[in-house]
Amino acid sequence: MSAPAESRRRVLRRTVCLSLAVAALGTGTRGARAADADLVARGAYLERAADCEVCHTRPGGAPFAGGRAFVLPGIGTIYSPNITPDRETGIGTYSDAQFVSAVRAGVAPGWKHLYPVMPYASYARMTVDDVRAIRAYLDTLHPVHAPAPANAVRFPYSFRPVMIAWNLMNLPSAALADDPGQSADWNRGRYLVEAAGHCAECHSPRNIMQATSSAHSYAGAVTDGWRAYNISPDPDSGIGAWSDTQLAAYLSRGHAGGHGTAAGPMADVVSHSLRYLTARDISAMVTYLRTLPARRSDETVANITPDALATGPNDSNGGRLFAAACAGCHLTTGQGRQVEVADLWGARSLGETQGRNLMKLMVEGSRLDTAQGAMTMPAFGPEYRDQDLADIANYAIGHFSHRIGHVTARDAASARGGEPPS
Amino acid sequence: MLTLQVNGVAHQVDVPDDMPLLWVLRDVLGMPGTKFGCGIAECGACTVHVDGKPVRSCSLPASLVAGRPVTTIEGLAGDLVGESVQQAWMDIDVVQCGYCQTGQIMSAVALLKANPHPTDEDIDQAMSGNICRCGTYRRIRAAIRNAAGVA
Repeated sequence: MSAPAESRRRVLRRTVCLSLAVAALGTGTRGARAADADLVARGAYLERAADCEVCHTRPGGAPFAGGRAFVLPGIGTIYSPNITPDRETGIGTYSDAQFVSAVRAGVAPGWKHLYPVMPYASYARMTVDDVRAIRAYLDTLHPVHAPAPANAVRFPYSFRPVMIAWNLMNLPSAALADDPGQSADWNRGRYLVEAAGHCAECHSPRNIMQATSSAHSYAGAVTDGWRAYNISPDPDSGIGAWSDTQLAAYLSRGHAGGHGTAAGPMADVVSHSLRYLTARDISAMVTYLRTLPARRSDETVANITPDALATGPNDSNGGRLFAAACAGCHLTTGQGRQVEVADLWGARSLGETQGRNLMKLMVEGSRLDTAQGAMTMPAFGPEYRDQDLADIANYAIGHFSHRIGHVTARDAASARGGEPPS
Repeated sequence: MLTLQVNGVAHQVDVPDDMPLLWVLRDVLGMPGTKFGCGIAECGACTVHVDGKPVRSCSLPASLVAGRPVTTIEGLAGDLVGESVQQAWMDIDVVQCGYCQTGQIMSAVALLKANPHPTDEDIDQAMSGNICRCGTYRRIRAAIRNAAGVA
């Protein structure tokens, strides 16, 4: 059992104990208490849909106790705050109205303006009731005393009131209202994608104001060194060629046959959020994603089937290293030896000739939590030279996508250094 | 509680869903024939068969094999291909230190069951991923050739 899953289980257990304790209280308040338990359960589900935990937990830290660093090139480093009910360092003293204001308007108590690393421009489109339900759930967590490290933000961004102007221009004024011309399924999907799931925060490029672009919505963008792919319905650059079943499998399990496995930040999203959503909600998200405007972007999907695989061993340095280091799990055919997540056919990272995500994946490794436990890909450490990593990447791009990879040793060094490749 | 079918026998085991199959085999079921090598599916020492295919048991969650037939080196006794491969191994003294050989034999048996007359290229392809620090690769290939055709 992995540590985060263990702690999550502990949180759940605590929620259940609390619900039982609540249920055992006097009969006079039983109706109200049962309503509270329903609210907490709804909040727990919405917290997962909104994926609060992954950003509000530092690697190896207590869940929801904050401290994860967000490095924004040119702006500074911002740390996520503690959102456990601790009264000193968490949100224990927030009123519900203050909590709703922080989540939906980006304004914390004391007129402290949050930075839009917190996706409040998306959460503004959630309903107040839903945000209150999340608060009710967070209140059931164990309070953790954990002060957030001080942000290191450059002027003029360090002057928080600049966010007032940003908010005036970029913050939606109201929650999403159902569109009566669309199905209930579509409306639910839109709510999960646009509001709670805040997909656009990574998958839409940002404009000069650092707000998500509506003109290029869901056309893909680079976040934290990883490319969040185009998820618009364009068949060449986006998800237009995916079947509904493939999309639903990718969202709910992190893998779709013919499209590879989620890695990096998307693996986090599946691990902590999407895999807990109901099949109905996942299907609603698929319904909505299908209706987004198609956007063409530079990255195109390589449509190669396993039948087209060049057979025979490859004696290049990359081919030999692939056979030694990668084929153990992926096989030289790429179809995966024993777990579906090792089947890499159709993975978009293998069609990207610059190898951005492939290089990040090799350098950082990846972890995907599934119903069968954690699936991990180990990171390639210093035992491999930068040129070796580039050779493996170029071999894999050529072998599995029939494209010529342009990955260089410098790209490998940049990925290792955590700097964006030039 | 999981039910594992190992070498034709059903075992009820109370283990976490993500415990690797290798741990269950060695520590819970007491079958130490399968070896721990690298722990990340790179070396092949822990190879066993699931549904007749060679898998790396160090990296395979036990819950994924519940109800599916698992064969370990202990289960090769009485198996025609399994015994032929072991005999071929002894005939030309393939083994040096021996640590990787459980995995080598399990991969070789899976190959010969799927392909009774493999070419050298087939052998190299199927055996790549089973690493031998002593470098017995040539003898392994020769033994597989000698055992070929019995199935």
